[in-house]
Amino acid sequence: MRFARESLRRGMRSLVAGITCIACLHCASVEAQHADTIAASEPPPFVAGGYDDKPHLRGLFGRIAVGGYAELHALWQREDGATDDAGFLLKRWNLLTSTRVSDHVHVWAEVEIEEGGEEVRLELAQMDFLCHPRLNLRGGMLLLPLGRFNLAHDSPRNEFTDRPLVATDLIGTALAMPGLGMFGRFGAGATGSATYELYAVNGFDGGIIDASSDGTRLTEGGVNVEDNNASPAVVARTAWMPAEGSEFGLSAFTGAYNRFRIEGLDVDERRSVRIGSIDARTRLLGLEWNGEAAAVEVDVPPGLGGIYASRQSGFFVESRRVFGRRWIPSMPAASFSAGARVEGVDFDRDLAGDSRIQLTGGLHFRPTPETVFKLDYARSRSRDRFHNPAEGAALKFSLTSYF
Amino acid sequence: MRPTRHPGARPGFLRGVALSIRPVFALAAVVLGLAACDRLMTTAPSSGDLFDAPLTGLSAAELAAFAEGDAQFGLAFAPAAGLGPIFNNVSCASCHSGDGRGRPENALTRFSRSGDPVRELGGPQLQDRAIPGAEAETVPEGVETSLRLPPPVFGVGLIEAIPEADILAYADESDADQDGISGRPNYVTPPDFLPAHGGGVPVVGRFSRKAQVASILQQTVEAYHQDMGITTDFITDDNHNPLASGATVAADRVADPELATASVLAVVAYLRMLAPPEPGPMTPGRIRGRAMFDQVQCGSCHVPSFETGTSSIPALRNRTAQLYSDLLLHDMGEGLADGRPDGQANGREWRTTPLWGLRIMREFLKGQVFLMHDGRARSVDQAIRLHGGEADSARIRFEALPSADRAALIDFVESR
Repeated sequence: MRFARESLRRGMRSLVAGITCIACLHCASVEAQHADTIAASEPPPFVAGGYDDKPHLRGLFGRIAVGGYAELHALWQREDGATDDAGFLLKRWNLLTSTRVSDHVHVWAEVEIEEGGEEVRLELAQMDFLCHPRLNLRGGMLLLPLGRFNLAHDSPRNEFTDRPLVATDLIGTALAMPGLGMFGRFGAGATGSATYELYAVNGFDGGIIDASSDGTRLTEGGVNVEDNNASPAVVARTAWMPAEGSEFGLSAFTGAYNRFRIEGLDVDERRSVRIGSIDARTRLLGLEWNGEAAAVEVDVPPGLGGIYASRQSGFFVESRRVFGRRWIPSMPAASFSAGARVEGVDFDRDLAGDSRIQLTGGLHFRPTPETVFKLDYARSRSRDRFHNPAEGAALKFSLTSYF
Repeated sequence: MRPTRHPGARPGFLRGVALSIRPVFALAAVVLGLAACDRLMTTAPSSGDLFDAPLTGLSAAELAAFAEGDAQFGLAFAPAAGLGPIFNNVSCASCHSGDGRGRPENALTRFSRSGDPVRELGGPQLQDRAIPGAEAETVPEGVETSLRLPPPVFGVGLIEAIPEADILAYADESDADQDGISGRPNYVTPPDFLPAHGGGVPVVGRFSRKAQVASILQQTVEAYHQDMGITTDFITDDNHNPLASGATVAADRVADPELATASVLAVVAYLRMLAPPEPGPMTPGRIRGRAMFDQVQCGSCHVPSFETGTSSIPALRNRTAQLYSDLLLHDMGEGLADGRPDGQANGREWRTTPLWGLRIMREFLKGQVFLMHDGRARSVDQAIRLHGGEADSARIRFEALPSADRAALIDFVESR
């Protein structure tokens, strides 16, 4: 019996080694063809507005491109008639680098300095081994493909001053974790294409419960730089791009967040976080539409039931129309846009309260595509766990620009 | 005279600048329009329609303390901030909706055995939640239990400032006036951590369902400890489930005390300065309802008002507190009895619940009403009909009223 098992194991090893060799050879030959194709026509960005869709980074010196974006907010917001906040905030100053080490190795990084330096973190540091359009390897500090917004959230691209609630309050954009995995694209050009990303990452840590004073909050457990439970999480997204300007994505995440085993001892039950998300952007009725919805399930320790939520959800839908492209002769690239966003987040779906809905309208001016002046007015209604409402309003002006 | 063009300026530049100014003006107009339209930025509700408004007459320094205490009152604790090991809820505000009363979902269970708080079994309060690594309590067998809805916290500063003698003036333990009402104080011995009341001298209890608490500081410290599992300089030891494995005592890894004295005192100051909501206007119907209230003799226990005495906070001095309570214990009959003594209060006695704030209670409870100590009454009418014991004769008089008079009485009570 033992001999049979050993033979089977050896056979499996040989099979895996063989498949790997064939795959590498196949990759090498197809990559050669692909290089020719690249020379003929640049493929569209992997994610529109994502890490490889930053025009200002192109055409710089050598193999290294450096850039970034800055974002200043001026805001006045109130809740129930009392001024909560009025002032200025250097919201972000992000530094981006892109290095094409070779035709097969590409390194991307982004350092984020938030709120005037109060928070400095490595938002993205990914190394891509480009093997074949359909199968590439990626490792590093990865932006989780959990909805398109988490992958493409640069302020100069984001239509409004604030990111959507589902991204900031539910998912925790920019959500990045150390991990390893693969990505690829099927099809290209006007006929449409589909992409996928599949990674193993550290996952959330117990902070989503332990460090959160507002109930279950994924945002409190996303900085799991050193894995806490030796149990990788899996995150994946697949997207279909039928035409330029349209993209429909489906994402999922699952993984344990708590430390359930210590030195081989089972010290707790394995508790998981599961997230599902759908996203879409398209053009319809002369407007550009963008939206995302996410649902979260968390296994809450039994001693915290009723206070910490096990089910959460959120969504946003926004639309904009660009106009006035030639209104300013001295700024031929300038344009205006008007947009509206409706969004909501429910921090506890098993409770009538603990939620927030918000409507935002904005008028935005882009002297060039890289720079935006945004003026937004938002009206919100949040409810506490007793379902008591609080009316909020905010007037926000922001200036953001790539550099 | 033709305008001179700046050397190097491109043709059409000035026109471009002029045109580019238009959107700037438009933006400025939008900003000014929004700034001028205050309503667009939300408006504040009347302070008299809130449970969490400050007393009138507070100084700027007192209002600053009020704001600080408000923030502490709303502060929710996570396990990493000291929550637990066993607890009921995560913040003061989590139990007191808008600083008003709670709901059955966050009611507390208190238990004891023949007056013994059975601390060795986890009494006197059930902590039915626990942080990871700790074990929540369950109700042990053979004990008396009592469900307690969180009471409102507004107006407690006024209650604390009522002279003890004025409360005792309504006490009639032996029913000397033979009106069937025999209110008595719950004399409680303040805990050692209350130096101002130390010395083991019993004082009149004023707070909680059985008037078993004498001061706001005591109530606050014990709520932090019992309800949230937060240790303070006043009670430095964590509250553990005595029936759980001894190995679980290390579950709460936050150093004690978990909350600074300044934070506790800020909450105490905040509570003291919380104003009760204003009663509604006296319409003709309510004037009639007030007359019915007197005729039924509800006011024998629901004493309409007290005058406060001295206080360290000037705004609390010599104020009229329209609380509609004598703050004394009364036998409420077998139907409401929990069979569970608390201090000198026996299992049939309850402190007269103040009626202030009933006018807006629905607004903070999703339009619902939860009355009596455990929230069993879903309307004022139902609550009155549940009165027994000393209040039996008042209930009978109420039930004998014509329906229009009953409605007027209820409207009056609900306008307080």
